[in-house]
Amino acid sequence: MALALHLYRRIMRRGRVISLLALASVPALVVWLAGFDADEGQLSEIYTDIISSVGYTYAIAALILTTATLRDEKDSGTLPYIYMRPIVRRNMAAQSILAGTAAALVIGVGGWLASVLASLALGAGLSLPLPSLSLYVAAGIGYAGIFVPLGYLAPRSLLVGLGYIIVLETILANVVTGLAQLSIWRIALSIYGGLEDDFGDVARDNLGPVTTGVGGGMAKLAVAVLIGFGVLTWALKKRDAL
Amino acid sequence: MTDTIVVTDLSKWFGLKVAVSELSIGFRPGVTGLLGPNGAGKTTLLRVIAGLQRPSQGQVRILGVDPRQDAEIYRRVSLVPEDESVYERLTGRQFVELAARLARIDHPVDRAGMALQTVGLVAAADRALGGFSKGMRQRAKVAAALVSEPEVLLLDEPLNGADPVQRAQLIALFKELGAAGRTVLVSSHVLAEVERVSDRVVAMVDGRLAAVGDVATIRAAMTDKPRRVYVDASDPRRLASALISTPGVLGVQVDDGTVHIETSDPADLARRLPAIAVEHSIGISKIEPVDESLESVFRYLVEGR
Repeated sequence: MALALHLYRRIMRRGRVISLLALASVPALVVWLAGFDADEGQLSEIYTDIISSVGYTYAIAALILTTATLRDEKDSGTLPYIYMRPIVRRNMAAQSILAGTAAALVIGVGGWLASVLASLALGAGLSLPLPSLSLYVAAGIGYAGIFVPLGYLAPRSLLVGLGYIIVLETILANVVTGLAQLSIWRIALSIYGGLEDDFGDVARDNLGPVTTGVGGGMAKLAVAVLIGFGVLTWALKKRDAL
Repeated sequence: MTDTIVVTDLSKWFGLKVAVSELSIGFRPGVTGLLGPNGAGKTTLLRVIAGLQRPSQGQVRILGVDPRQDAEIYRRVSLVPEDESVYERLTGRQFVELAARLARIDHPVDRAGMALQTVGLVAAADRALGGFSKGMRQRAKVAAALVSEPEVLLLDEPLNGADPVQRAQLIALFKELGAAGRTVLVSSHVLAEVERVSDRVVAMVDGRLAAVGDVATIRAAMTDKPRRVYVDASDPRRLASALISTPGVLGVQVDDGTVHIETSDPADLARRLPAIAVEHSIGISKIEPVDESLESVFRYLVEGR
């Protein structure tokens, strides 16, 4: 696990972590602002609606963080120091995705904790934000699964990733039904929806044609991560490392 | 002695640019200098041998293994890249320990300490690499490469940025490793540097082999090359006619007031030129050798093959 630990430490630079925590905490701020005059019944709907839509800021934070896992090494010319070590390539791929996932989860849990604080400040109990932890965890795992390989493969991975989040997830997936199934955010949202009884209308709209359910969502997530793992293993074996 | 690195019909191209062209060669234990001007393809060759880049054509076997097929080979092979890049925030010690841990070596802390001692970096080991001089970074990179005690050590311009004392230490270290039976491949664009490290030299230019052999052979091949010397004189035509019959002068031409001389022995020409000028009462204002770059010498060697 030495590689995973090294990569994790490398991407979790203080400045980056602080700014991405701030980005991931934006939904919490919006919840707090929007929930000032809301009663307890409205608060639940406000919370799920805002987290499911403004929560995309976490997707961007996860993108920035996870694409950097191997891209930082490539761009700074330090990749040979980890590539030329006796680490089987599938193991290297697994440790890289693990490091990206761990980093994304730290930011995700940070964003979620901010939403907990917002809920508590509005007088809601812990039961309101608790199910949404699944959204952050699932999204963190899913985004790391696809963005760590993207970071290794594409020199402009941030741009490609933003294209995926903005163009595919937020625009095209709303228009083309089939594409919604390819959205990590919606898959994560479907898990959240499976755990949250009081899912708001906006949250359901955000989900689109993707049905709620923990089992189905986790299966889709596993497929996404496995595909990412396969692609990264292939790239480490077959593509130039520089 | 068996070759530990075997390169067969190797080519590597990037789009339309050919970096290494149909190169076949073997490297055996001991120190071998890989010599060539900048852009000759040395770095690409080392990267392909190291498995960092895949060959576009041909194959590489290092200790009998294709490095891109078996990562375990990196227990026995290390590379010191040319790039100055290091983990700026890590200390020298952390950097070498990281290399040891990634190589899954027993007692990584002790081994890192030994490697740092070998390169003479113990005193600065707890400082961040970001504050290291170029020479110190090179030594830290060498320590990280040595920590796994590799049988094959690939060094891409390892003496860049090192001061004379550091150079002498590193050269002694490379020779010691070579004498101990390790295969040490050291690239450089400076002949004198390679000459100090190794007796065996592989010269490259434009991605092709220019010469293989000991330093004396390479030097002899270089002196065979006709050199051009430009001379500005008060009476260029008279000087040209006086030079025609001079031993070692292969051709003379006057162009725009400058005498262009082709000679097989520029040193001899430099000795004779003042006497010829005095004898014919010609004033000489400038003597300029124009073919002295390593690149031009290597290109000549390649064209002559």
